[in-house]
Amino acid sequence: MNDQHPLTQAIIGGRRKDVPQLVQQCLDAGETAGSIVEHRLVPGMAIVGDRFKRNEIFVPEMLLAARAMKEALKILEPKLVAAGIKPEFYAVIGTVEGDLHDIGKNLVAMMWKGANIEVIDLGVNVPAARYIEAVKQHNPHLLGLSTLLTTTMPAMRQTVQAIREAGLSVKIVVGGAPVTLEYAREIGADAYAADAASAVDAAMSLLHHKP
Amino acid sequence: MSAGAQMVVELDHGERRLIPIIDETRTLAAICADHGLPLNTRCGRRGLCHGCEVLLREGSLRTDAGLIPAPATVRACQARWDGGATIQIPARSRIEHKPQVTETFAIAVPCAHQPLFPPEPGVRDMAAAIDVGTTTVVVLLADLVTGQVLARAGGFNEQIRFGDNVVTRIEAARHPETRAALQSAVVLETIQPLLLQACALAQRPLNRLAGGTISGNTTMLHLLVGEDPTPLGVAPFTPRFLRGRKISADSIQLTPLGLAPETPLQLLPGIAGYIGADITAGIYATGMAFDPAPSLLVDIGTNGEMVLQNGGQLTACATAAGPAFEGCGLLCGTRAREGAVSDLRLALHPFQLATEVIGGAPLSRANGLCGSAYVDFLATARSSGLLGLTGRFDHAAWESVPASHRMFDDGRRALALGEANGAGALRVSEVDIALLLQAKAAIGAGLEILLQTAGLKAADVGKLYLAGGFGMHLDVAHAIAIGLLPGFRADQVRVVGNTALAGALLALLDRNTLAEMEDLSTRVQVLELNLVEHFEDSYIEHLMLP
Repeated sequence: MNDQHPLTQAIIGGRRKDVPQLVQQCLDAGETAGSIVEHRLVPGMAIVGDRFKRNEIFVPEMLLAARAMKEALKILEPKLVAAGIKPEFYAVIGTVEGDLHDIGKNLVAMMWKGANIEVIDLGVNVPAARYIEAVKQHNPHLLGLSTLLTTTMPAMRQTVQAIREAGLSVKIVVGGAPVTLEYAREIGADAYAADAASAVDAAMSLLHHKP
Repeated sequence: MSAGAQMVVELDHGERRLIPIIDETRTLAAICADHGLPLNTRCGRRGLCHGCEVLLREGSLRTDAGLIPAPATVRACQARWDGGATIQIPARSRIEHKPQVTETFAIAVPCAHQPLFPPEPGVRDMAAAIDVGTTTVVVLLADLVTGQVLARAGGFNEQIRFGDNVVTRIEAARHPETRAALQSAVVLETIQPLLLQACALAQRPLNRLAGGTISGNTTMLHLLVGEDPTPLGVAPFTPRFLRGRKISADSIQLTPLGLAPETPLQLLPGIAGYIGADITAGIYATGMAFDPAPSLLVDIGTNGEMVLQNGGQLTACATAAGPAFEGCGLLCGTRAREGAVSDLRLALHPFQLATEVIGGAPLSRANGLCGSAYVDFLATARSSGLLGLTGRFDHAAWESVPASHRMFDDGRRALALGEANGAGALRVSEVDIALLLQAKAAIGAGLEILLQTAGLKAADVGKLYLAGGFGMHLDVAHAIAIGLLPGFRADQVRVVGNTALAGALLALLDRNTLAEMEDLSTRVQVLELNLVEHFEDSYIEHLMLP
């Protein structure tokens, strides 16, 4: 792992404008899209997550880093698909019904992508039925539910309940400003993420408990 | 319980009080509020924020997580008596009894003198204009015969103890009993005393009140009249009503001695769930609807709302900017009030820090920083090179700051305003900066998107009306420099104060106003920023300091 690679550094520093050129340089040097993700992007986002947990960086810098990574994936994702590369893990994510906020949810999605998890994003204001449909369709390992409003926490509870009643065994991670660990336990979620960095830890511990 | 138990409470400037502990099951926040020391329980006493933190000096307290021995910082809403304690309440954790409320405003439209309530001179010849804000409420009394303002009175909206923002209030009002408690908090504990206070100032008895007009955001008006605001908490945020209702004083339990029960109260019309009657009032009072060139209204309060007028077309949006510019949620943040640092200038090489305190007190006696000082800080720290693009202290520049001004909170860097004042020194931390950047990005991006959708640039705008309490002490050039008002020039900006109150007054004095406001309110198109595709991109771009 080479943390000092210019592309990795551009991701960490959130320098979106430098990213396309640096990705192109890697490709020109013969690196595959899969290798760029694994060796340049993933280490960058891991460092971003660690720094966030150590209070060395804050939300604004994390958002900037995530946006830089999104820029890289814009170039690389079509190549990954073309090469038929399938990631090991899948996740479905969305903001629950009644809530239109997606910046926090998008950040978690990007952090998960940065941990090499394929993420299917259902967007905002997602009713329970659409989560169920998406879980049945994609059979993901993880389902992420987000909410920013206190007033839409009941929708999160109802979604978890509906998923369980539908007999789906997907691991559910919940998070968002008003959500607490107690609430996550109370509504029967499998994990709680206090922020986007711990969402990666939560995902990893759930994924590696899998048989 | 232990008979005669007393808690020692230390306040600012060495003041000490003894508070008797009658009921050990009550939280410290509740006990303090009972004894005239309401704390900032802005998260609704749920233990989620740092608003009500107190310092436990001696003894111990109980929390759900167990026993907490001194010394410790504890959330008063989560802590209970444990037999003996001395606590210190920092100034920033208290809700002061006299907030600085914006009671002043500029009115830019002509106004006929034909009052909404016909006066009977000497009998019923005055009326009230009321602005019910999420944080503060203002009552203004006007003489209906002369049109003159007689008195103003302002204070906190007592609903604040249920939560500091509209969403926590909506959540609190889910049940009919709590909805009644919220109504009572704003009517009996807020508007009624302010009305009496204004009458005393005006030296006129309450029975001369002919009626009133009321402005406020959609949630506040729902809670005022006792309507269920629950639908405002979830998309598509459909209000129960928007049109300007006319109600009687007794219908909202406003029945102080001397006031006729049927006294009419006219609510101003709102625009949408998150664009309320306060904004209708602002559009009207600024006269922006009739400006020949494109114009903007930016109201920075607990939420940030903005309206663009372009060729007579009105478009509005709301941002969840949060109350950072009102000083909420910041380490040493406070509202603009007596004793707050309102102006700040920072220079490096050599290091210089100049401050001004509202009321003229020395920095050593200041009780916090208000929004305008944070804007000054961001602007001058960035231009001097102390802050980098992402709002972090530049390593080399940080080392050049005198050691006495450099502090660490939990390993996070903070710049102390004064020298070596110990742990209580006023300071700006990197965490504060991150929160300020998020608030400024929400407003900056909202403005950018609003202009973009109309195909305009900042330079195309004739006037930008900056409304709300925050604007009053603001250095406009600094607000532009940090990208809060991105791309504008200072000469475009008009600081207009409390336009919600101005609109309520105009509706009182000129009976045609109401019909015009109704018309305006139906003409405004609402833009849902969260559904605009590049809002997020613009928001992230605006997180940086230019």
